[in-house]
Amino acid sequence: MDPGLRRIVLARLEADGSLGDGWGDLVLGALEGHDGLEAQLAGSSASPRPLAAPASPAPAGAFLRSVAVEGFRGIGRAQTLEVAPGPGLTLVVGRNGSGKSSFAEGLEVLLTGDSLRWKERAAVWRDGWRNLHHPAASLSATFLVEGEPQPCVVSRRWEGEAAFEVAEVAVALPGRPKRDLDSLGWTAALRTHRPFLSYNELGSLLDEGPSKLYDALSSILGLEDLVEAQGALQEARRSREKALKDATEGRGRLLERLREVDDERARRVMAAIEGKEWDLGAVEAVLGAAGSAPAGTAEAEVLRAIASLEPPDPARVAEAVAEMREAAAALTFAESTPAARSRDAAKLLELALAFHAAHGDGDCPVCGQELALDRAWDKRQRAVMARLREAAREAEAAHERAEAARRRWEDLAILKGEALQRASEVGLDLRELVAALEVWVRAQSIEDLGNLADHVESASGPLRKAVLRLREAARAKLERREDAWRPVVAEVAGWLAGARDAAQGAVHLKRLKPAEAWLKKAAAGIRDDRFGPIAEKAAGIWERLRQQSHVELGRIQLTGDGTRRRVVLDVTVDGVAGAALGVMSQGELHSLALSLFVPRATLPESPFRFIVIDDPVQSMDPARVDGLARVLESASADRQVVVFTHDDRLPEAVRRLDIAAEILEVTRREGSVVELRRSLDPVGRYLEDALAVAGTAGLPSSAAAHVVPGLCRLALEATCMEVVRRRRLTRGEAHAAVERTLSEAGHLSGLAALALFDDVERGGEVLERLQREAGASLADAFRRCDESGEIPPEAAVDLVRLASKLTAWLRGLS
Amino acid sequence: MLSLARGMLGRVDPDTAGLWPRASALLACRALETTMHRLWERRTLDLQGRSMRVQLICLRTYLGDADLAARAGHAWSALSRACHHHPYELAPTAAELRGWLSVVEELIQKAD
Repeated sequence: MDPGLRRIVLARLEADGSLGDGWGDLVLGALEGHDGLEAQLAGSSASPRPLAAPASPAPAGAFLRSVAVEGFRGIGRAQTLEVAPGPGLTLVVGRNGSGKSSFAEGLEVLLTGDSLRWKERAAVWRDGWRNLHHPAASLSATFLVEGEPQPCVVSRRWEGEAAFEVAEVAVALPGRPKRDLDSLGWTAALRTHRPFLSYNELGSLLDEGPSKLYDALSSILGLEDLVEAQGALQEARRSREKALKDATEGRGRLLERLREVDDERARRVMAAIEGKEWDLGAVEAVLGAAGSAPAGTAEAEVLRAIASLEPPDPARVAEAVAEMREAAAALTFAESTPAARSRDAAKLLELALAFHAAHGDGDCPVCGQELALDRAWDKRQRAVMARLREAAREAEAAHERAEAARRRWEDLAILKGEALQRASEVGLDLRELVAALEVWVRAQSIEDLGNLADHVESASGPLRKAVLRLREAARAKLERREDAWRPVVAEVAGWLAGARDAAQGAVHLKRLKPAEAWLKKAAAGIRDDRFGPIAEKAAGIWERLRQQSHVELGRIQLTGDGTRRRVVLDVTVDGVAGAALGVMSQGELHSLALSLFVPRATLPESPFRFIVIDDPVQSMDPARVDGLARVLESASADRQVVVFTHDDRLPEAVRRLDIAAEILEVTRREGSVVELRRSLDPVGRYLEDALAVAGTAGLPSSAAAHVVPGLCRLALEATCMEVVRRRRLTRGEAHAAVERTLSEAGHLSGLAALALFDDVERGGEVLERLQREAGASLADAFRRCDESGEIPPEAAVDLVRLASKLTAWLRGLS
Repeated sequence: MLSLARGMLGRVDPDTAGLWPRASALLACRALETTMHRLWERRTLDLQGRSMRVQLICLRTYLGDADLAARAGHAWSALSRACHHHPYELAPTAAELRGWLSVVEELIQKAD
């Protein structure tokens, strides 16, 4: 994230008072990309970082001092392009293939690790990065960075046969440890304020439709981060809307499915999600109960109670019946023994003693003996009764056993009445059980223990069968219920997971939507703020570049976003508001691209004080080249402008318009030996070359004899052209007309006629006027140059001297 | 002359840095003209005074190698162009020069 941009967004959020709205931090998260946004949504990221991020000082500006290239593209042996490290214009002139672009590309690759002009091309293009004439490959550049007393050297070296991507990159400042490229802090700026522009980029910038152009221009603005942030918000919103849509559709399907399931749980889930607000907690509660004992469903409880009914256990029944029969036999036996008599006698005595205690001494009411009941009797009989009781205990035990045995039938079948009462509610058939029970409970009224044993024995079988059958029915019913429910559980659970996300998403959406809307508006605002000055500057540059073009450029606007983003170019052709780019020539398109590039690359926040333009003049006509020279001149007032160009048009314009510039020539010998030299104007260059040949010991004298007159002739021709061009352009003639006149003039005599008489037809009078006005020796020199015949080697230096004088004389013509 | 011109293309020499393309072209052009001259002399034809254009047209007839004559014509006009100043044109490249030089070389062999 570009910190400058982040600051601007923060300031806007603050100004709008939107930070506390619960979505402001989402905007900030989105600025950090998709992950940052999700972290904010998940609430895991500490919310907004300090608002008043300190404004970063204007970046330290870097000027280029030299670019050294070895074994890369067109350059074999190491060669260094040195430029004055400060504002100013440098032109590097060389024929196509001379290796000049290798410097431009070399610098771009050095700093960015790639080259835009290769990016879109086939691999073979990229694979040719090494120079075949040289084994080693390296790039380096020296920069002067403001505030750094020592130059900073950036280098990129390839070991042996290393692939293009495998290079050792280092940044070195004298006396400091080596660092990596990022330490320069240029990474973002290389993208946002890209200081390189090649012919290919100029061409492609405007070729690719309004949205591509938008992207290219907004990348010029360095607002990709905002576009990405908007993308992140949009993506987050879409993913949540999709989750919500999916969950809603899934809910419809689920409801349909649940309707088919006759189960209380299904009904509860339906109740929870039928409304607009889904009670997902309730759904989860139903699901949570699944598998273990499902709580709370009355129907299931009844069924489970019945399913767990215990029928009479045959073993226990047999045991009880046997005990009853044994107890009955014991009772019969006890009643026929003295013990029974004693028990009965004790009972009788107990009554008599109670009678005596109640009525006092008297006659015996049983036998009638007088006064038989008195105190002595009482005492005697109490003792007798104790003895009798002792004797009766055995019979008591037999009775008690019989009573216990009788009660055992009650324990044989304990059936929960409540569950049974509701059995019909859950659709179970109770008739058999009821019939069996009716028989079974008759046991209550059977006095005789033996008969009771027989009854229990015979009635327990049918009862057991009835209970077992009912239990089976209940279990089957439960099973069926679970079988119907179980697959639905998986569906409900599957839906629930999505629905939870969707519900979470719905919460997120409430924050995402305003965040997205705000950022969309803010981005447009920031874009206009940023683009305004650039558009203005661009329009100014276009005004200079367009020269005689019929195309007038009004406002340049970036509008819309997403798939509707486009660039609106307010183009007028001959005063008529026209289509747009379609009406522009290639040269005009290039000019437009250049108009947009220069302001962007020279924005104050760029750390680069240099811009490198590779071959901007290719499809420009001479008039436009004049405009370009002016544009470059004003850009070079406070920037270091390095322009690579393949012919002499731009240097010529620069010289003619008297624009301060350093001009370097690049030539390439065989074997990729690239040479650089400072260029004078062509006239000075030819003369200097001629003098070099004339006075070079290393060359055979025959070379001087042949070459020097030719070079002098070149110097004179160039001088004549310069004179004619200056005169006619000053007079207001069109560039194209002047150029046509010059090329039609042919060689030296025609050009001289133009220079001297402004009339190409008067070639025959040239020598005469020269003799008259410039002197015989200069006229003679002119003749010898024009003939360009062999001269005596010792006359070579003298001829150059005379030719030089002659050029000065010619230049004095108005 | 020709070997001098050729030498400038390949050899690295600070004395001729930057100026070799024009110098080489001048030498090659002169070599071509001289060769033509010699050719007419050998055939005792009085064409030396005529313009190069005329000479080149005649070459097609007298050389007996129409292809070489055509290539010589091309080489001459290109070399001649390099030997005169033309607006905005830079000096020829090493590859261009090498091609023209080989044409001249061929012509020399044919002329002898």
